[in-house]
Amino acid sequence: MESVLTAVFEILSFGAIIVLVVLGLGVIASMMGIFNFAHGEFVLLGAYTTYLVSQRGLPVWAGMLAAPIVVAAIGFLLERSVIRRFYAAPIVAMLGTYALGLAIRETVRGLIGGLYISIPEPIVGSFVIGGVQLSKWRLAIIIITALVMVGSYLLLTRTAFGLRVRAALENPSLARACGISTNTIYAVTFAFGAALAGLAGALVVPVFSLFADLGIRFLIQGFLAVMLGGVGTFEGPVAGAGVIGTLSAALPWAVAPVLADVLVFVIAIVLVKLRPGGLINGRRV
Amino acid sequence: MSEEKRAPGMSRRRFLESAAWMSGAIATGVGSWVIRPNWANAAQRPIKVGIATDLTGAIGYAGNANANVAKMVVKDVNAAGGVLGRPLELFIEDTASNESLAVANVRKLIQRDKVDVVLGGITSSMRNAIKDVIVTRGKTLYIYPQLYEGKECTPFIFCTGPTPAQQCDEFIPWLIKNGGKRFALPSANYVWPHVLNEYARKVIEKNGGEVIFEEYYPLDQVEYSATVNKIMTNNVDVVFNTVIPPGVGPFFKQLYEAGFSKRGGRLSCVYYDENTLNINAPYEMEGLASCLDYFRAVDPLDPFSAKLQAEYDKEYPGKILFAAGSAATGMYRGLKLWEAAVKEAGKVDRDSVAAALDHAKIAEGPGGPAEMVPGKRHCKMKMYTAVAKNGNYEIVAKSEGLVDPKEC
Amino acid sequence: MSLPVAESSGTRASPARRGLAVIPLLEIGLFVVFAVLPFILEDYLTVFVTRVLILSLLAISFDLVWGYAGIMSFGQALFFGTAGYSVALLARDLNITSVFIVIPAAILIGLLLALLLGSFLLLGRRTPTVIFVALGTLTGSYAADRLARGWYYLGGQNGIPSIPPMTAGSYEFAEGPVFYYLALATVVLVYLLCRFLTRSQFGLALAGMREQEARLAFLGYRVQHLKAIVFSLAGAIAGLAGGLYAFHEGFVWPNMLGVVLSTQIVLYALFGGVGTLIGAVIGVIVIEIVSFWLADNYQEIWPIILGVLLLLVILFRPTGLIGLLVSQRERVGRFGRPNLARAKSREGSRHGAS
Repeated sequence: MESVLTAVFEILSFGAIIVLVVLGLGVIASMMGIFNFAHGEFVLLGAYTTYLVSQRGLPVWAGMLAAPIVVAAIGFLLERSVIRRFYAAPIVAMLGTYALGLAIRETVRGLIGGLYISIPEPIVGSFVIGGVQLSKWRLAIIIITALVMVGSYLLLTRTAFGLRVRAALENPSLARACGISTNTIYAVTFAFGAALAGLAGALVVPVFSLFADLGIRFLIQGFLAVMLGGVGTFEGPVAGAGVIGTLSAALPWAVAPVLADVLVFVIAIVLVKLRPGGLINGRRV
Repeated sequence: MSEEKRAPGMSRRRFLESAAWMSGAIATGVGSWVIRPNWANAAQRPIKVGIATDLTGAIGYAGNANANVAKMVVKDVNAAGGVLGRPLELFIEDTASNESLAVANVRKLIQRDKVDVVLGGITSSMRNAIKDVIVTRGKTLYIYPQLYEGKECTPFIFCTGPTPAQQCDEFIPWLIKNGGKRFALPSANYVWPHVLNEYARKVIEKNGGEVIFEEYYPLDQVEYSATVNKIMTNNVDVVFNTVIPPGVGPFFKQLYEAGFSKRGGRLSCVYYDENTLNINAPYEMEGLASCLDYFRAVDPLDPFSAKLQAEYDKEYPGKILFAAGSAATGMYRGLKLWEAAVKEAGKVDRDSVAAALDHAKIAEGPGGPAEMVPGKRHCKMKMYTAVAKNGNYEIVAKSEGLVDPKEC
Repeated sequence: MSLPVAESSGTRASPARRGLAVIPLLEIGLFVVFAVLPFILEDYLTVFVTRVLILSLLAISFDLVWGYAGIMSFGQALFFGTAGYSVALLARDLNITSVFIVIPAAILIGLLLALLLGSFLLLGRRTPTVIFVALGTLTGSYAADRLARGWYYLGGQNGIPSIPPMTAGSYEFAEGPVFYYLALATVVLVYLLCRFLTRSQFGLALAGMREQEARLAFLGYRVQHLKAIVFSLAGAIAGLAGGLYAFHEGFVWPNMLGVVLSTQIVLYALFGGVGTLIGAVIGVIVIEIVSFWLADNYQEIWPIILGVLLLLVILFRPTGLIGLLVSQRERVGRFGRPNLARAKSREGSRHGAS
């Protein structure tokens, strides 16, 4: 019974992290139709910002607050200068963002000297519930993710801004005809996706430590999650992330870790083949 | 002042400095890092020493320590008159924790720079990748300075780092006495943990212990909940860890959070040194035991070690520490033993030096003296068991004399 | 539509020949340069160029699928690495190093694997999107990487080191000029084969597929089958490259299978310019040389420079280097027999002139 509780908790906490990352990726993919290969590096930047802030002597949670803002700003700048040229050619976008990600990753690697740096968690310790130790910080991650998701959903569905975003998503030319500046919307959306990734990075860095290749592992899982869940809706990527996160966290309990790693991807790609529109059919990619 | 390029101290300032330096370097177009001796009679043909180590990448923290030690030793040797009246010229290549880049770069050392000896490689996979280029195709002497799994008996490869026998024979009995009989062997999935665990298992069982489980994980796995759960539910007393970065930090953290050390469990890891202590917060590693050929805490016991440590700290202050798990001590030993061998042989060609290196000895080294075991190409050295307390190591046991590597 | 471009960029030539045929010049030029390089270069540089040649095979295989079949394959390294591992296992476990066995084996393995993956991804009731195929191949590459990394029999993280040299009878192919010429001969052969293929009727269908897939399907061509054929062929070439690489370098490791190499190849080919086989080769050569030089001189920051460089090229010259040298008309290519081509261009000039 204890094992089950622990397992469920681990699945939830790991799944929450994936959801945060994938949400940003999915939003960008749905809106602009491009797969941002640099998304993993936004996660890295969020983690790095947290580290920088804590280096200055400020508390870690201050860094975690700053991270999404900083990464959003970087995302905004990148979108304005580089990314927007890719909207016409999604394939070129994949490669251009890959090159961008490479540049960012290697820059961070140079700055931290290729080392693994540990960041302490803002909330230390664990709750003991029925003989099971639940890390306080991981619980916090789950709660924060849930709040962010709810907040984003509300933003998208209940505000005027959200209305404009959804309009630009469904029919860009009509939206433009109505006077909505799709350029601004795209920029803001990209920045928002980047912010989510940055937040994910900041939340996750006490768990995984800071190192230059932190972002890469989230990237592939992120793509599969988006494909699996379906592009074009809010729930799609979240569902996809849920599936991928659960598989990744649960399979190692059942089979050898080596096999579990590979199985997640094989299962995902088979699922996508069977349901090309994704689990929640918004619009085919 | 010799025309020395500054070590990549790998702080942000250094990085920015080097980026600025880049513009100045455009004119030079020098290949691999060459540190030329500055000598009045540099007309004497220098002896070329090649270092192939991970200056960047996941193992960068160790590789840079290696490079620093090499630079320090070569400087001292040259200051004392060189070897056979000839200065040493150092060629450093970055293996970048990336085996295929490493092979290309090591080829440069062999074919372009034509070095007389190569020291380096840290992980076993790196050693396996580059040894062919150096020894078989390159017909050059190769000295491997890092602790490893043993069984490297290729001619002309000499190992100056601890072997499983040196790390386990006295350490595991200590662990059983100061931890318990139930062992878990969580490991990274590559050759070193596989072979080390084979040996460790024998020693554990010979001393009355029991291996509860032995598992292998991909190197970049950062989620260890299943493993931690197994450790806790099976009442494991001692975790004999061979998971390496990046997984080890999250693993230790998750283990701590599950309450392993609180309930009296003993954490142990034979490659953990002062450099790796920075990976986790001190309380997460409280009580961690390691067995190496040198710790900073050995300095009060061995004056030469203290002198060496002080010299390194002065030359290279900062985060890259002189530590035994990072091949730094093996590098020192290897260079000094090689120097002794060349002096004895009177020549620099591979066969003569190898013959002399076979039985080379040094009276002073980090942790104590060292001796090559004739015919075995491995090195006897003193071993120390230490426990992490509050972010520093305390020596709790040491070997009687020089420990036999028991290889080949 | 593309002729006015040729007019403006080319010389005022006779109607029968628009502009200069740059591609054959490039091909011959490069061939001559490569034929004499070993005599000029030092040994270790010859070894470096051999590696570049083998990688250019991989780039050709990618150009075939993307430039001629419109499949964005992020998985060429999968076939490269699998063939490499297979021949390494043959050498290690069965002591087979004869070039007459291992090279065909490598080709066969690449072909079969590509056939399998291609069928799964491309065939089926619904036409897959480009992104799906791209991610499918990416996943294949990544999964293979993880598998090799985790499987101890394959050496795990370490890979399989110390592969004995390839043999032909009792002769050993050590690295150096001999292996260089072997690699060069292979590249030339493969290149000519592909060139022949893409200029044939089959190539015409491929060009049609590249330009307007739906139209070609309406004309009755089974587009997905064509794609699967090209994909398998490219897989075979990648496998060949993998076999050569394993014996040349002397070791195989999981990165040979992985996403990083796959994406690198895509970048190389795009950098050089797709749709003309020689463009991919040029891309590999240029990037490898630049990386080599950068790594030598700016040890700490060369990956950043590389990333930025690639980004700039992708932003400002999406047609790649070849776009600077070759006109659009030439890129689309000529097909079938020469007189047919001349008749076409004569007809085209009449249109252009008016």
